[in-house]
Amino acid sequence: MISLGGGPLAAYIPFLHAWPWPVSPLAHLLLFLPLAFCIALVYRATRARSASELPRATLITFVNIVVGMSLIALAFFVVYEVVIRVM
Amino acid sequence: MKENRVNADKMIQAGVLAWLIPGGGHFLLGHRALGAVFFAAISFTFFFGLALGGIKNSVNPFTNRWLFLAELGTGGYTVASYVVNLKVGEIKPQQLATPRDSNTPDPRDQIDPDVYAKYVSFYPAADVAQIYLATAGLLNLLAILDALTRAQTGGLPTYYRELAEHLGPPAGGKP
Repeated sequence: MISLGGGPLAAYIPFLHAWPWPVSPLAHLLLFLPLAFCIALVYRATRARSASELPRATLITFVNIVVGMSLIALAFFVVYEVVIRVM
Repeated sequence: MKENRVNADKMIQAGVLAWLIPGGGHFLLGHRALGAVFFAAISFTFFFGLALGGIKNSVNPFTNRWLFLAELGTGGYTVASYVVNLKVGEIKPQQLATPRDSNTPDPRDQIDPDVYAKYVSFYPAADVAQIYLATAGLLNLLAILDALTRAQTGGLPTYYRELAEHLGPPAGGKP
């Protein structure tokens, strides 16, 4: 009988412990890219009639999301800088 | 009448299977490539979030019930992860709960800080994990709705009326 109650097997379950991954500010931002890609892929898959339509449509949606979010971030940065200087 | 019954059965089967395993509904309906796409994209999002956040803190209705509700979109993964959370480790999920008010004793005070640090992730990994896990659940809701629609329409996607107007016949032949 294999015991899971904190026994030796628990050490082999990768998701049990927090991953001590040093997420730097740049890596923190870059982790947005795989998430945006998965969102683009799933969203486009719900609109596709066959998988052959997916690569191009996913790429376009992915680029749209990344460029759109980057522009929003840039706009917020500009507003922040202006507010900081005025204050 | 009989055809409606068959469609309803197929919809229920596809919906439940898609809830249990991302892409399962599409696979059942014969859209194997689309099923594989849903499976890969949603599984990656869920398990990457889980790896970042740790199972004790991330799949826990006592720490963040709204996150848990979002995660339930990927029902099979979330239920299995919660069972694993209950069965393994030195901390019970209830021990990580945030107290309701300042008069309620904090259950986290009873935990050894070293044990606590071993199981719980912190900023920024915890935030990224929450975003990934919630997104996985919500993306699977889209996949479930799409599977239900395809079961109902015989293979056409959710926005099939708009697509028919704009795109014409399917590019790959088989839907």
